[in-house]
Amino acid sequence: MKKENIEKFEKLHIQIKDIYQELSLLSKKSPDGAINKFKLKFINQLIDESNTLLGERYKPFRDFEKFQEDDMPFNSDVVLIVSQYIECLEKYKYDNIRRILSTWYWIISDSEDKIETSSPKLEFLR
Amino acid sequence: MTIIRPRLIDYHNILVTQEEVDFAIPFLDEDIPLYLDPFLLWKSPSQQDNALHLILINTFNKLGKIYLQSEDKKEKLVDVLVELSECSEVGLGSGKTKKGLKISTKTSNEILELFSIIPEYKTTGVSHFEEIQLYVNNISKDRISDFSCNFLKSFLIDFTQDECKKYNIPMKIFKDVRVFNSNTCKIEDEELLLPFNPEGSIPIIFVPKRWLRYTPWINYEDYFQKAYIKEGQEEKIDKPKVLDYNRYNYGMISAYISAKERNQEDCKNDPLFKQIPVISAKKCLNQILKLPSGKTDNADKKYEDNCTKLFSSLLYPHLDFAQAQSRVDSGTQIRDLIFYNNCSFPLLKNLYDEYNCRQIVFEMKNVKEVRRDHINQLNRYLSEQFGRFGIIITRNPFKKNIMRNTIDLWSGQRKCILCITDEDMKLMVDVYENKQRDPIEVINKKYVEFIRSCPA
Repeated sequence: MKKENIEKFEKLHIQIKDIYQELSLLSKKSPDGAINKFKLKFINQLIDESNTLLGERYKPFRDFEKFQEDDMPFNSDVVLIVSQYIECLEKYKYDNIRRILSTWYWIISDSEDKIETSSPKLEFLR
Repeated sequence: MTIIRPRLIDYHNILVTQEEVDFAIPFLDEDIPLYLDPFLLWKSPSQQDNALHLILINTFNKLGKIYLQSEDKKEKLVDVLVELSECSEVGLGSGKTKKGLKISTKTSNEILELFSIIPEYKTTGVSHFEEIQLYVNNISKDRISDFSCNFLKSFLIDFTQDECKKYNIPMKIFKDVRVFNSNTCKIEDEELLLPFNPEGSIPIIFVPKRWLRYTPWINYEDYFQKAYIKEGQEEKIDKPKVLDYNRYNYGMISAYISAKERNQEDCKNDPLFKQIPVISAKKCLNQILKLPSGKTDNADKKYEDNCTKLFSSLLYPHLDFAQAQSRVDSGTQIRDLIFYNNCSFPLLKNLYDEYNCRQIVFEMKNVKEVRRDHINQLNRYLSEQFGRFGIIITRNPFKKNIMRNTIDLWSGQRKCILCITDEDMKLMVDVYENKQRDPIEVINKKYVEFIRSCPA
């Protein structure tokens, strides 16, 4: 992991988790409801950034790049895809951090700095 | 090219919707079913409208004053009023043809006589032109509207010319347009540049849509029900008796007019098309979903009626609804919905350019399964104004072989036939309710899906 990507990742991770929570609520209310263009634009932005960061290795689906406005995706479709991205980001994180005593640090390839991070998802630790 | 229920702008290929323009778009072979209500000018927040109302009232009162003062001019004034009673250029009303009849000289005389019968009119004149409906038989909303249009014709001509310039609507010179001159109180022939009805080269005058209502705010029926009669006695009294009573009891009229003025907030112009509320759209959808496919218990008729109601609202304002029509193809009765395509959405522009589609046809089929002959029926119809694009509204998605059939049609003839199913309709009503997307985007989605399935 390059040092410059750490900040990008942390921001993206928070945003995508937050948007997932919002969309989950919408999806519970009306799973077959069409998502509006405004929301879709920002969801696509996050997906775009995730694709760049994750690369082919961690990307959830090989032939999914982003949502098409014309397809009028449903709330439940978007929730499904965003949840997959969150899982892949978690995995990406787990593969790029290490624990020293009880603290987790990023493994940085281009710097000697020590940057702390939160612990990964429990599933990865089992 | 035959356009169904042609409007002036469609004839000239001018791509605007009714929602975008300030005037009521005239039909070429029938009237607009609305009337000019002078009360809307009186209550308007626009000073221009108020001034025009004043012109209307002052002109009418001037006619009355001259009628009272000079005996020798009476006959001429009666004739003037007869001529002012019909304004065919504006094309308002419920007529199936564009030509209407004028009032008789007797009725015209009765109107002008009001100035000598009613003392208040003799001294101060009328305050609302519509009041004459409450005294004279055979004067109703159409006459009030036509008189008003004629009194304001000069302004309406300017308005029409401005709108024509704004939207590039062709005009031509008419040498003998009859226009009332309020200074001389005479009707004169004027040479004017006006848009025209290509069928018969008749001049057309536009009316601002903010002035239009189905019935005038002040009208006889309303007066009779609310001010004149006690409940349950409606059928006991003849109209002529009421009119006669009114002439000699101005207090009744005055009180009624004051009440109407007090409630002016409730007086709104009527739109040319009103979308059904969300709750009604959901009701229509539920009725459609509950219907069996086929013709049992008139299910096909009910399906078509509900689809008509639903689609005309769902697709507004992007698509102005032209009409529901019945046609017969190879002995089969087919019902279609026809919309004007004014390119108000990227998909519609695409359909116009790529498929030469000036009007969009939706064929309604309450069948479990669309067959090849159904596709052929629509395919045969896709020519002229419909270009090479059509939609079948039906219960279930096309089967694989039918889908193949439509793809082949596209590959071979570049004709596009889309299918809107119950599921699509549900989505359309859903977005109509929650406003997250536009119902027309569902058609766009179907089109994109169809094109993706076609060979590159």
